[in-house]
Amino acid sequence: MDELQELYREVILDHNRRPRNFGALPDANHVIEAVNPLCGDKLTLYVKVGNGRVEDISFEGTGCAISVASSSLMTERIKGQTLAASLELFDKVHGLLTGAGEPPEDLDKLAALAGVREYPTRVKCASLAWHALKAAVTGAHREPVTTE
Amino acid sequence: MLSFVIDGIHAHDLGTIVDREGVAIRTGHHCAMPVMERFGVAATARASFALYNDRSDVDRLMSGLKRALELFRG
Repeated sequence: MDELQELYREVILDHNRRPRNFGALPDANHVIEAVNPLCGDKLTLYVKVGNGRVEDISFEGTGCAISVASSSLMTERIKGQTLAASLELFDKVHGLLTGAGEPPEDLDKLAALAGVREYPTRVKCASLAWHALKAAVTGAHREPVTTE
Repeated sequence: MLSFVIDGIHAHDLGTIVDREGVAIRTGHHCAMPVMERFGVAATARASFALYNDRSDVDRLMSGLKRALELFRG
């Protein structure tokens, strides 16, 4: 596997082609706009929080394969998780993307994002959705989220 | 200067892939958000030529674009 295949793994290409949980969520109680104005990535994250959990989550928007796949993988993994577990996953994925130390364990499919750490300019693509999630879970989203 | 898009492959992905061939292109909004909105495109790729470019650079760009098509369309 060369470095490009390491970045564009099958899981990433598949989630880019057929994003999961794509579309608006009418009963969301958090709607977060996330943008990277320099590159043009735009994402709206819909989150329904209830009983201390992410009961439902979806997204829509445009972006590169890394950004769409990361958003799709995130919604798949986060749906049904407690808020505390969601924040814990945010930290793990952040560690995975920015390459501080060994890649965290138990990431399952999310480990497909590991190739991104070799491409510093693409880290912001992969982390946009996760920052939007953090904003939803902590309720800190008066301003649009950006990773630029 | 040549601005272009490839169906189904975002400009940033093109940028990363041709970079592996040693070719630097610009991708995204090009600091021209209003015109991108006018034409309804999210992002474009843009290759520019300078005095020092020759045919081998164009060949490398093309081989990078072919690689992108292989990766994304199989």
